[in-house]
Amino acid sequence: MISRNDIDLYKQFVKTIFKMRYKGSILGFLWVLLKPFFMFLILYVVFSSVSGQVGNLTSRQYAVYLLSGLIIFTFFQEGITWGMNSIMERADLILKINFKRDIVVISALTMALINFGINLLIIAVIGIVLGIHFSVLGVAYILLIGLIMFLGMYGISFFTSIWMVYLRDLTHITELVLQLMFYASAVFFPVELIPEKYRFIVELNPIAIFIQSVRSALTYQKIINLEFVLSSLVVVIILVIVGNRYFKKKVLKVAEHF
Amino acid sequence: MENSIAIQVKNVSKQFKVPTKGQKNTLQERFLNPFKKTHYREFDALKNLSFEVKKGEFFSVIGPNGAGKSTLLKIVSGIYLPDEGEVKVNGDLVPFLELGVGFNPDLSAKENVYLNGTILGLTKNELDEYIDEIFDFAELREFADMSIKNFSSGMAVRLAFSIAIKVKSDILVLDEVLAVGDAEFQKKCYDYFDRIKGTKSILYVSHALSSVEKYSDRVLWLKEDKSYEIGEPEKIVNAYRNAE
Repeated sequence: MISRNDIDLYKQFVKTIFKMRYKGSILGFLWVLLKPFFMFLILYVVFSSVSGQVGNLTSRQYAVYLLSGLIIFTFFQEGITWGMNSIMERADLILKINFKRDIVVISALTMALINFGINLLIIAVIGIVLGIHFSVLGVAYILLIGLIMFLGMYGISFFTSIWMVYLRDLTHITELVLQLMFYASAVFFPVELIPEKYRFIVELNPIAIFIQSVRSALTYQKIINLEFVLSSLVVVIILVIVGNRYFKKKVLKVAEHF
Repeated sequence: MENSIAIQVKNVSKQFKVPTKGQKNTLQERFLNPFKKTHYREFDALKNLSFEVKKGEFFSVIGPNGAGKSTLLKIVSGIYLPDEGEVKVNGDLVPFLELGVGFNPDLSAKENVYLNGTILGLTKNELDEYIDEIFDFAELREFADMSIKNFSSGMAVRLAFSIAIKVKSDILVLDEVLAVGDAEFQKKCYDYFDRIKGTKSILYVSHALSSVEKYSDRVLWLKEDKSYEIGEPEKIVNAYRNAE
């Protein structure tokens, strides 16, 4: 049962995280835009020539290639990290008030989703400037992939936010894994750059598959990996249901372990 | 549970394990000392405690430090889970284990009213309606847009209290809320008690024995040896005074 107050509390949490994240910095909210932009600029300058030689991409195509990779990966990184930390970060509240605990988890994920939405708009603007045509189907496909990732990370956070209370090392482990994933997801280099015998890493990595699918939808208006995307939708829905049950049971014990 | 009962605590026990040495909270500790046992000191916070708070009753809990008062409030509030026994709550319960929960020093007073008020179970619409009253009651109208970090602790408490008294729930759990303010603030609190007495069910913990005697319908005395007594305020408070 979701009450009016639960929804208001959710909004308050999202608002507060948003305000706090960029408080005290002069550019404030602009950093949401500037950070991925500079990351993009650096990688673009360094790798655009290589990509042309190896991956047969024009520099325009590489720009969209890189941007979509960065944005999907940033979404993944933020969702996983913020979701995992959400319970620990609100320990003060959890020790004092009996509100629904899953609100802090969904709030953290929502923050990642908002950033993702803003980043998608940036892609759209850059794409239009570069003269790329977006097909409706392509855009819808990207939104579907975004939704699947959101649900998947929400499901994962039900577990990791609880584990985090018992094992603080999770911060460092996750950081390492994300770093590995960044390279294993072909975010900034063409897949062709990976030697044939290691290419399975990209072929089996769901994030890499999502990124490739978004790229193909954006650049060539072509839907690829549809079967994989649809079956992962089923998987993440199951993950959310199972995770939610696990969370509801375990979160009751969490307060005494902070 | 009978309809005339607000809180039912039945055979509740709670034990805490405090690691004395060898706590393994990180993997390093686990890897480096895989065979070293973690040593715990176990202590009972509550043992086989049962009582009921009736609807509209002002029920106080007294006892020395370490008797389990705060643990009891946290269990009743659903923050801790009891090891044994069960707690049933009949109605909306809002715990006040601290005033101004969730206050964010960097946000303005007004933003904090919405944040804290929502945490305490009010909706945005209700807060829109109450916001002027809250600032008037706290006498902080001209500071509404100031960050809380620039507030004196007295101002912050006044604001927190003004929000707290707007809470609608029919069961309140109050932990030493009076301990934080000056005499004027305490008077406001007591006026509030006068006003809500009989209309809400209250579970109240305090060291201020005179207030316990004055407002309570019944008193629970938690002792260090985990035994307890429940009874008329005058009788229990006197016995507690004599025991100390």
